[in-house]
Amino acid sequence: MNAARLLAAVALCVPALPGQILDPALLGKPATDAWPTYYGDYSGRRFSTLKQINQSNVKAMTLAWITRFTPGPMGATAIGGLGTDAIPAGGNEFGGFIIKATPLMVNGVLYFAAPDNAWAVDARTGRELWHYFWKTTGGIHIGNRGVGIYGNWLYFETPDNYLVSLDARTGKERWHIQIADVKQEYFSTVAPIIVGNHVMVGTGGDSLDVPGFLEAVDPETGAIQWKWWTAPLKKGDPGSETWPDENSMRHGGGMTWIPGTYDPDLRLYYIGTGNPNPVETGRGREGDNLWTCSIVALNIDTGKIAWYYQVSPHDTHDWDATETPVLIDGTFQGRPRKMLAQASRNGYFFLLDRTNGEHLVTAPMIETMNWSKGLNAKGQPVPNPAKESTVDGVLVSPPSGGATNWPPPSFDPETGLLYVGTSESYSVFYLTDTDPHPEGYGAAERGAGGFGGTVRAIDYKTGKTVWSHHWPSGGGGAAGMLTTAGKLLFTGDPVQHLVAFDVTSGKILWHAGLTANVSNGPVTYLLDGQQYLVVGAGDSLYAFTVEP
Amino acid sequence: MLKKAVGPLPAIVVVLAAAVPLAAQAPDGRGRAEPARSTRGGAGAGNQYTVYDDATLQRGKALFTAQCGFCHGANAKGGEGGPDLLRAVPVLDDENGNLIGPIVLNGRPERGMPKFSLTREQISDITAFLHEGIRAAAQRATYPLRDIVTGNAAAGRAYFNGTGKCSTCHSVTGDLRGIGGKYDPVTLQGKFLMPRGGGRGPFNPAETGGNPVTVTVTLPGGKVFEGKLQRIDDFDVALTDAAGEYHSFPRKGDVPAVVVHDPLQAHFDLLRKYSDADMHNLTAYLVTLK
Repeated sequence: MNAARLLAAVALCVPALPGQILDPALLGKPATDAWPTYYGDYSGRRFSTLKQINQSNVKAMTLAWITRFTPGPMGATAIGGLGTDAIPAGGNEFGGFIIKATPLMVNGVLYFAAPDNAWAVDARTGRELWHYFWKTTGGIHIGNRGVGIYGNWLYFETPDNYLVSLDARTGKERWHIQIADVKQEYFSTVAPIIVGNHVMVGTGGDSLDVPGFLEAVDPETGAIQWKWWTAPLKKGDPGSETWPDENSMRHGGGMTWIPGTYDPDLRLYYIGTGNPNPVETGRGREGDNLWTCSIVALNIDTGKIAWYYQVSPHDTHDWDATETPVLIDGTFQGRPRKMLAQASRNGYFFLLDRTNGEHLVTAPMIETMNWSKGLNAKGQPVPNPAKESTVDGVLVSPPSGGATNWPPPSFDPETGLLYVGTSESYSVFYLTDTDPHPEGYGAAERGAGGFGGTVRAIDYKTGKTVWSHHWPSGGGGAAGMLTTAGKLLFTGDPVQHLVAFDVTSGKILWHAGLTANVSNGPVTYLLDGQQYLVVGAGDSLYAFTVEP
Repeated sequence: MLKKAVGPLPAIVVVLAAAVPLAAQAPDGRGRAEPARSTRGGAGAGNQYTVYDDATLQRGKALFTAQCGFCHGANAKGGEGGPDLLRAVPVLDDENGNLIGPIVLNGRPERGMPKFSLTREQISDITAFLHEGIRAAAQRATYPLRDIVTGNAAAGRAYFNGTGKCSTCHSVTGDLRGIGGKYDPVTLQGKFLMPRGGGRGPFNPAETGGNPVTVTVTLPGGKVFEGKLQRIDDFDVALTDAAGEYHSFPRKGDVPAVVVHDPLQAHFDLLRKYSDADMHNLTAYLVTLK
């Protein structure tokens, strides 16, 4: 890779370069001296070619710094927003302040966000450079996946659905635009991905029956360039045949709450869409409910759909298909192909041809899965109607949280394995809304126990688990993953350890006790010629390195 | 600052002309109490929702059914030509009638909705009824479960004593005596599916109650420690022995040898085996054990 070119492009002293922070040519050859997107590059692989830290020296890996962050207006160096200092009561019910963001690292500065908050941190010392606080008007404060960077400008989304642009040098607000209406129970968590001059903006929220969408906005002005709705808008439109009527498709959900991936040669942006609404009953929305629970390829310039593949037709269990669509270049059945893999919340691994959406592999990831009658000719799981919620309850695995969830997996092109955290458990789904037109979730779920979490290394060519490691502590499941050319896999266990595995054998080579569970996807980069690993756990960022 | 309107439907412009914001209403003259103004957040939703008293909601429901129900449905979910109001943006965005009021008073002739001459108080009651409908859909943690006892108690008894092998450890005249009177059916069902919490988090000895998980740790020299499991992960195992002494050991792969015994293992095993009918029947049987 051309480090000099990348550095020139990201240099913060250069005023608002129109060029990309991430050169599209770096797809599959991720930056080594920066971590400039949520995934490190556009591929979603979270694989680094760095090997300064490797199997032979990882035992000497040691703490460089820890920084604990305090959200809120106290100590903030800049404040924006239209609401109040306090998060509304109940807004924090999903666990309080946890760093779920993948920090970006550009020119020696780390940038990350949490609901209502964004920070810049000196990557050499962990010292806070600035802290921006957004006064919220509400919304579910469940998490924030991070910021996007373009020239001197940062972008992050807020729980009350604003896209805020900050000056990366100062943390001062440049502008904000409204993405969606918080009164409709939208809330926004996505880390914006920037492709060319498109800032990709998604949203979330399925407490009420509102439609999902993805937008491309102008990085300078915030003006919408295109907007793609995740369901058709009117009868007769493509996909409308999979809904009973216009009302159901316009209230059909399908949120876009995880960043997509991008292939610069095909100029296609890949996004996984969320569950349909009402969430846990299919009554009133008979049909496949396109394009919910789907992997969709959109033309980056127009927002027009190039192809789609629905991984959960007519989902009734809240299994968003928003997990990372990982781009894989390799061979399949003897010939080279451009592929896309997803370890999906519904319990299946999928492999597609990303040029046209052709189905290649579907394979179950967990043994307890009991909701599907098998696969159809296109490799899609066929839901068993008997496992849709009933008044007296049905026992379903996986539960709504899924076999895996948003924490990012990693694909190592050298092993050909996709690494993902899974869990095996059951819930009972009770139908509560027996109206012909149920609303919201329509059903209640009660956890019924489970078997804990497992790290899986999945062969993309077959979907088979090549090695796995079950956490003996119980608990756990999805956790952020990172692989490196040092033949290491970094992730967290359910009891506050950061763990390094041998990517080939699954043997644990190193661990460190933190003060909270790993809560984001770890990142790595070279700084001053030295490799660092940075991970978020609870309210803190931890930096590790091997001293030369 | 830049702003943009958001909405899947053609932008609905609510004309506020001549509207009196209902939020500004004074206490009415009929002596009835002001609607409750406490709010409730969380429960799976992001917004704060007003908590209304039952009398307000009853009045609102009666008025809605009589005045609006023909077009919008008695439950406001849509009817003869009128849209589903619980999903309507002006209702979702409304605060204390500021958007609903003008629509009711002025009608929407372009859409065939006539104007209604309702008092402020009546509109306020209707608004409360609609907002409660939205809250009830949005706050999923508050959904009331219905009667889940549909199973066949005799079949449940047969399962208890037969296929399920429940009677291996339990007795309906012993430890389970009166169990059907102790718990509501949903809780009871959850108890037999997984007696230990939800079983979702890491092992927590505090959750094991009277059925502690035990562990046997055998050191390389042959020395054996046994007791209640306190913690186990890839790197450590800890126990409390019969004398109440706490011991912890680092784990390096298979050393020391560790064997965990979970008295609830049969419950975990059954999770993979239950049919939904087994679950319903067993629930119906246990409910009879008053």
